[in-house]
Amino acid sequence: MKPFRVTLFAVALALTGALAAGAAEIVVWHAYRAEEKEAFEKVVAQYNASAAAKGNRVTTLAVPYDAFADKITAAVPRGKGPDIFIYAQDRLGGWIEAGNTVDPIDFFLDKPTRDRFIPTTLEAMTYKGTVYGLPLNYKVITMVYNKKLVSTPPRTSGELVAVAKKLTNQQAGRFGLAYSYADFYYHACLMNGFGGGVFDAKNRPALNSPQDVQAMELLMKWFEKDRILPAEPSTALITSLFNGGKAAIVFSGPWFLGEIAKGVDYGLALLPTLDEAGGKPMRPWMTVEGVFVTSPSKNKDAAYEFAKYLTDLPAARVLAIEGRQTPSNKGVYGDPQVARDTVLQAFRKQVDVAVPMPNLAEMTMVWSPATTAMNTITKKAATPQAALDAAQKKVEADIAGLRKHS
Amino acid sequence: MKGPLIQRVRFGVGLAVGSALAIGLAFALLAAERRQALQARDERIAVVRVRALTEAVGGLAVPSENGLQPLLIAWKARLPGSPPARVVATQGIRLEASTFPQDVGDKAAPRRLEREEKPLFDQAARLHAAVETNRSEGAPRVEEIEVTKTPSGGLGLASPVERDGAVVGMVQVETPASVRRIRPNAAVALLCFAAPVALFLLFSRVVGERRWILGLLAAVLLAGALAFYARHSQRVLETDRRELETAVAEETRAQTAALPSVLSAVSVSAPIHPETWDSDLFRRPRSLVRADGRLDEERLRREIDSRAAEARKAIAGVGALAMALLAFVGFGGAARLGVTLRKNREAYAYITPAMLGMIVLVFFPFLYGIAISFTDQTIYTTSKPLSEIWVGLTNYAQILGDFHIARRAADGALVFNYLNFYWTFLFTVVWTVCNVTIGVSVGLVLALILNTPGLALRPLYRVLLILPWAVPNYITALIWRGMFHQQFGVINQMIQIFGGQPISWFQKPFTSFITALATNGWLSFPFMMVISLGALQSIPEEIYEAARVEGATRWQQFRAITLPSLKPALIPAIIISVVWTFNMFNIIYLVTAGEPAGSTEILITQAYKFAFQKYRYGYAAAYSVVIFLILLIYGTIQNRATKATEAI
Repeated sequence: MKPFRVTLFAVALALTGALAAGAAEIVVWHAYRAEEKEAFEKVVAQYNASAAAKGNRVTTLAVPYDAFADKITAAVPRGKGPDIFIYAQDRLGGWIEAGNTVDPIDFFLDKPTRDRFIPTTLEAMTYKGTVYGLPLNYKVITMVYNKKLVSTPPRTSGELVAVAKKLTNQQAGRFGLAYSYADFYYHACLMNGFGGGVFDAKNRPALNSPQDVQAMELLMKWFEKDRILPAEPSTALITSLFNGGKAAIVFSGPWFLGEIAKGVDYGLALLPTLDEAGGKPMRPWMTVEGVFVTSPSKNKDAAYEFAKYLTDLPAARVLAIEGRQTPSNKGVYGDPQVARDTVLQAFRKQVDVAVPMPNLAEMTMVWSPATTAMNTITKKAATPQAALDAAQKKVEADIAGLRKHS
Repeated sequence: MKGPLIQRVRFGVGLAVGSALAIGLAFALLAAERRQALQARDERIAVVRVRALTEAVGGLAVPSENGLQPLLIAWKARLPGSPPARVVATQGIRLEASTFPQDVGDKAAPRRLEREEKPLFDQAARLHAAVETNRSEGAPRVEEIEVTKTPSGGLGLASPVERDGAVVGMVQVETPASVRRIRPNAAVALLCFAAPVALFLLFSRVVGERRWILGLLAAVLLAGALAFYARHSQRVLETDRRELETAVAEETRAQTAALPSVLSAVSVSAPIHPETWDSDLFRRPRSLVRADGRLDEERLRREIDSRAAEARKAIAGVGALAMALLAFVGFGGAARLGVTLRKNREAYAYITPAMLGMIVLVFFPFLYGIAISFTDQTIYTTSKPLSEIWVGLTNYAQILGDFHIARRAADGALVFNYLNFYWTFLFTVVWTVCNVTIGVSVGLVLALILNTPGLALRPLYRVLLILPWAVPNYITALIWRGMFHQQFGVINQMIQIFGGQPISWFQKPFTSFITALATNGWLSFPFMMVISLGALQSIPEEIYEAARVEGATRWQQFRAITLPSLKPALIPAIIISVVWTFNMFNIIYLVTAGEPAGSTEILITQAYKFAFQKYRYGYAAAYSVVIFLILLIYGTIQNRATKATEAI
C-alpha cells in the first residue's frame, strides 16, 4: 500500500508542477525511418532536455509516407492534427488554397533566421510571396558515375556525349548514360537548364515554351542520334545497370546511393553544363522538406520556436552526420566533419543551381499530361513540339476546370 | 374496420400533417431568409464603411510617417457611430494607425505588431495574395474583403489598400453586434395552418365518404393555404429588401458627405468614388446605389423579382413534399406502415444495430458521395457548404453529353479522344469481356485436365496453378510490367530468339492493352479453375457411366453433362468476376498506367485521376456514380437472367 501512495503522490506532484509552468506539448508528425528517424529523435530529445525549464515538450509521431499527405489534408483543418508536421513542398499550394492547414510564418521570421538557409530552399517554402515553413532538408539530383569506367567526370554536355558514346554498346546492353529521362521529374534538369519550366512568371502553365521544346530535342538527340541512353528507363532498370557495371553515368538523387551495390566504386559530380544552352548549367528540381506550423495549433509560438531549433546549426549537424541528410542550413557545410564528407558536399554544390519544384496546387495537374508527353516523345510517336502542345492544352483545360470563378 | 368516418379522418389527419409540414417549413424558410437579410444588412453597411475609409487611406502613403492616425481620428469624429478601425501595412510588421480603444498609451500606433497580433499581419498578407491571385488568373476566385465574426458577436471587416496597383496594407474595422431582432409573425402562419383544416372539417360533411373528392378537396385547401402564405412571405421580404437598400444608400450618402472634410483634415484632396463602395466581397460594385447616393430603382426591381422567382421554386418544392405526405396518409399508406412495424416489431429490433452500422459506414458515405456529384467541389472549395457550390446535373451533362469520341486528322486518319467517357466505357467493356473470357476458358480447360482420373502429382499441379492467385497482385503487376520492357523484358528477348523484332509494348493502344490483358489473365484463371474443379468433382460418376452405356462420345458427354452441371457454379463466379474486372484498378494503374495517352484507362482509373490528380472532387464523384449505375443495371439484368439457371 505504501509504495502505491508514494507513487500517487509523486505523480500528483509532477502533474501540478507541469501545470504550473504552463507546459506546452507540441506534437510533431514526420515520415522518417531508419537512420533519419534516429537522428531526428535525437534532436528532439536534445530540445526536450533544453526546453524542460520552460515546460515545453515535443512528442513525435512517425506516420507512413504514402498516407502522410492525405492524413494532413483530412486531419489538420478539422483541428485533429499535430502542431507541426514535416513534409516536402510539393503539396504546399494545395493546402494553402484549401485553407486552415498551414500557418504563414512571415510574422515570426527575422533576418538572422532567414539568412541561415540556402536561399532557394526558403524560396521553396514561399507561396505567392508569403513564407509558410522553415526548410529542413533538401533532395536534389546530381551526377553519379562509376569510377572504374569514368576517370574524370564530364563537365559539359559535349564531354558527356563523347565519354558516353565510347562506353555505349547497345547490343551488349551497355550504356554511357542512364537515367529515368522519361520521368518528367528527372527531365526537369534539362528543361530548367534551358531556362524553361512548367509555369511562367505569372504562374500560367508554359509547358510548350521554346526552351522546353529545345530541352526535349536535346534529350531526343542523346537518345536517337547519339544512342547513349537505354530505352524505357525504369528506376529498377537503372539500378541494375549501374550495379552491373553496365551504366557508366547516372543522374539521380540521394535515394539512389542506398541502392548501389557494395563493390561499385562511385563518385559524385555536378551535372554538366549545356553547350546547347550556351554553357548554362543543368538545373535539377529540388524538393525541400519543410517544417510547417499548422493553423489550428494552440501553441504556435512554442511550435515555431521548435521549428527554429530544428533548423539551427547544432540540429542540422546531427541530421547531416547521423541522419545522412542534406540540411538547408548553409552553416552546417562549414563544419569540419561535414566538410570532409564528399557526398554531402556534392549535393551542396548541386543545390546552388537547383530550382525548387513548383509548390502550386496546379502542379498536380501537370504530372499526368507531362508524363504522357514524355512517353509519346521518347517512343517517337510525336514530335517534341506536338506532344508538348498537347500537354499544354490539357493542363490549361484542367486548370480552367479547377478554377471555377464565382 | 371500414367505419363511416375512416376516409374523412384519414384525409383530415393527412391535411393537418401536410399543412403543418408545408407552413412550418415555409415559416422556417422565411425566418432564415430574414435573419440572413439582417446579417447581410450589417455586412453591407460595414462594407460601405470600410471601403469608404479604404479609399480615404489610399490617398495617403502606406506605410507613412504621419497622417494616417489623424485621418482615422477625423473619420471617427466626423461620422458619429463609426466603428473603430486600424491600418496594417504589408511591409514590415507594423500597426500604422488605430482607433481601437486598447491601442492607447504605450500601445498607441504607429508601432510594431505584438506576437498575439499575428492574425492581423497574416490577414493583410492573405488579402494581398487574394488580390494578386485574382488579378493573375484574370477573374475573381478568392474573396478580397474578409468578413469575420468577432467574439462579441459583431463583424470584423478587412479590405486591402492599394497604391499604384499594388497592395500596400489593409484597413480593418470592427462593428458591434447588431441589436435589431426579427420577430417572425407567427399569427399568419398559424392561420394558414388552421384555416384549411377547419374548412376541411366543414366541407367534408357535405362530401361524405367519397375518397377521390375528399383527396381533391384536401389538396386544393393545402395548395391555397400555402399560396397565401407564400404571397405574404414575399411581401415581407420585399419590404425588408427595400429597407436594406435604403439603409445602404443612406450610409453611402453619409460617407460621401463626410469624406471630403475628413481628407481635408489631413490636407489631402482626392476624388472619391461612392458608386464603388457598395460591393460584393470580390470588390465588384453591386451598382444598386448610384454616384449621387440614390437607389437605382430599375435594377432593384429586377433583383427583387429574381429573388422572388427563387423563393417560388423553394415553395413549390415544399408544396410537393406536403402533397406527397397528404397522399401517403390520406390513401392509407401511413396506416399500413404502422401495422407492419407493429407486427414485425422483433425483426426490426434485431436488425436495428446492424442497420445503424450500415447507415454510418455505408449509406452515409455513399449518399454523401452522390451529393458531392451534384456540386462543383474542387480542392479550392472543400470548406464551402455544398449548397454554395451546387451545380445540379452539370457534371453528369459534361460526362455523358460529350460525344467527341473521334475526329479526322488532317491526313484523314481517325484520331480518338481517349479522355472521352464513351471511349473509356467501350474500352472497359472490351477489357471486361476479354478478361472474363480468358479467365473462364483457361480455368475450365485446366480444371478438366486436373480432373483426369489417375493423374499423377495432381496436388502439386494444383498448388502451382493456384500460386498466381496467392501472390499479391501488386507484385504480379510490377513483374509483368518488367517482362514487357522493350530491351530487357523477357518477352521481347524471346521474340528476338525466334528472330523477331522487339516490340515497344506501351507505344500503341493495342499492344498496351495486350500487356494488361496478359497480366490480368494470369491473375484471374486460378479462381475460375478452383470453382470449376469443385463443381466437376461433384458431378456423380454414374451419369457419365450411363452416357457411355448409351454410346455417347466424349464431346457429347461434355456438352450434355459437364457443361450443364457446371452452370450453377460458374455463372455466379462469372458475375462476380465481371464486377471485379470492371473495377480492376491495380492492374491498369500499375501495368499500363493508361499509356499511351490515356487510351488504356478504364472508368475507375479515370475517376481516380479526376479526383486525385485534377482535384475535381465533384466531377470525380459524378463519374463514380455513373460507374455505379452501369454496374447496377448490369447486376439487375444479370440477376434476372440467372434466375433461369436456378432451376437446374
